[in-house]
Amino acid sequence: MSEAELSASDIYLQKEVVFEKGKKYLIKANSGHGKSSVLNFIYGSSHNYTGEVVYSKKEDSVFSLRQTEISYVFQDFKLFPSLTLFENIQLKNKLTHHKSTEQIDALINKMQLTHRRDSLVETLSLGQRQRVAIIRALCQPFNFLLLDEPFSHLDSSNIKIIVDVLNKELEERQASVIITALDDLPFFEFDKTINL
Amino acid sequence: MLIKLQKKTLVKIQLIGYILTLFIGVFIVLTTLQLYQDVKPLLSEQTDVFSDKSAVISKEVSVFKSVNKDRIYFSSKEIEELKEQPFIKDVSVFNNADFRIKAYSNQSENIPLFQTDLFFESIPDAYIDVKTEDWIWNENDEVVPIIIPENYLKLYNFGFAESQGLPVLSKNTISQITFNLKVIGNFNSEVYKSRIVGFSNKINSILVPETFLEYANNKFGRSKKSRISRLLVTFNNPTDERILQFFNENNYSINKDKLEFSKLSFFFNSALVFVIAVALIILVLSIAFILLSFNLIIQKNKAMISNLGAIGYSYKSISKFYQIVISLATVIAIVPAIILGIVVRKIYLERLESLFEFSESNSFILILGVAILLVLCLSYSFIILRKMKAIVLPKS
Repeated sequence: MSEAELSASDIYLQKEVVFEKGKKYLIKANSGHGKSSVLNFIYGSSHNYTGEVVYSKKEDSVFSLRQTEISYVFQDFKLFPSLTLFENIQLKNKLTHHKSTEQIDALINKMQLTHRRDSLVETLSLGQRQRVAIIRALCQPFNFLLLDEPFSHLDSSNIKIIVDVLNKELEERQASVIITALDDLPFFEFDKTINL
Repeated sequence: MLIKLQKKTLVKIQLIGYILTLFIGVFIVLTTLQLYQDVKPLLSEQTDVFSDKSAVISKEVSVFKSVNKDRIYFSSKEIEELKEQPFIKDVSVFNNADFRIKAYSNQSENIPLFQTDLFFESIPDAYIDVKTEDWIWNENDEVVPIIIPENYLKLYNFGFAESQGLPVLSKNTISQITFNLKVIGNFNSEVYKSRIVGFSNKINSILVPETFLEYANNKFGRSKKSRISRLLVTFNNPTDERILQFFNENNYSINKDKLEFSKLSFFFNSALVFVIAVALIILVLSIAFILLSFNLIIQKNKAMISNLGAIGYSYKSISKFYQIVISLATVIAIVPAIILGIVVRKIYLERLESLFEFSESNSFILILGVAILLVLCLSYSFIILRKMKAIVLPKS
């Protein structure tokens, strides 16, 4: 992004912004203000910025960073429509070998997706896809979990389920979460809210 | 799971098309190159039959030229031009006798009485393929050695002698006959003794030593000007196709036999070059085809590839499947092409060996085939890797 597009915020044009492990962050802004961009910068999938993103842990490549340090639930999910729900999750788990099939099935069950386990993702609704993307993101070790507007297609009962699952996983890993949203998220207790 | 996902992106018919065309291209390239290598010694051995690499050339005699004789002579400029041709090693001139010669025998038991007009020419001694210590003439020598074409003897034995009821002569007997030469010219005449010392297949003329001709031309010559109507040329390589082309363009006539082989090898080489060129085109097209096909696959599945990168797959692991598929297809095409090439070579070698004395040269089908295989697989792998990297890790 060029400077002309930006107004000073809690992240942009700041000397330094630190995300610490174990804390929960909310990045709040209206659409078009660069919420996704910030997450992409952190994830290393976009370099369209001036400045520097520094990680406390050095990794050989961006791919090992993505396999062991940072997990990302994309706004557009990045699922593979020609694979089934379960296969989509397995595709990630085969890479990391983080969860057993039982654990994955338990998560699918919790998210109320068991009946669609073997359906092709292209047949799922947006809300269902969003939940699949979240399960997939949990199938790897991480210290930071990035969620890009994760609840946009979900009803409150589903949000509650997801928040429970996320809280449990974060606690187990002592990991940090960075969530972007248009507005405040009352279901989550954040350590810090950052306005863009 | 990754394989299942990527398998769906392949277009099987394109892969099969690639395998087929590559197979045909590689097979023809390998076999024809090997054939060329195998037959080459046969061609050059054959040229050795023409022990010497020289031939006699003259200008074509046409209706106009028979009236104006000047046109059948070579000018010094034309000789220079000949000497400059890359395929010509050396050019020598025939010296003509510029006087009249009569040969006749004395009445004796051994030889029939005869009298005939003759002509003489001489060429540098180095070209005389009948080596003999008799081939010397000094000013005071009475006997002039001459060489006649072997055909003349045949003509006499099987034609003339038969019809006239004369005895046939062997080379040996004819060499022992001495006859008289009367040289007339420049209001002068002299009689020499002469003897046939050899027969030539190569030069269709009656030859005397250069020293004699120079001496006699001086003494009996009607004009002092020497005119050159025939040349003796030595080639670097008588199978060179340019020889025939050059002589045809300049309307020179050449002992055709000598160049029949050049013609033959020209056609053989041209045919082979044509076949190799077509096979190379097939080969190149098949490679271009599969690259285009993979490019399309990658472009069509760009989103999938970049998503795989986004969930943590490295571009190397994404490339692996395509690298294996394209390498496997290349192996499936080239290995049978190598095997078929070796089998075909065995068949034609058997035929060649039954027809000619033929020593087998080494086969490079396997080595060249494997080299093509390796080069293709490595380049494909590199190209795919680069393309995947560009998608998974975009610069901006």
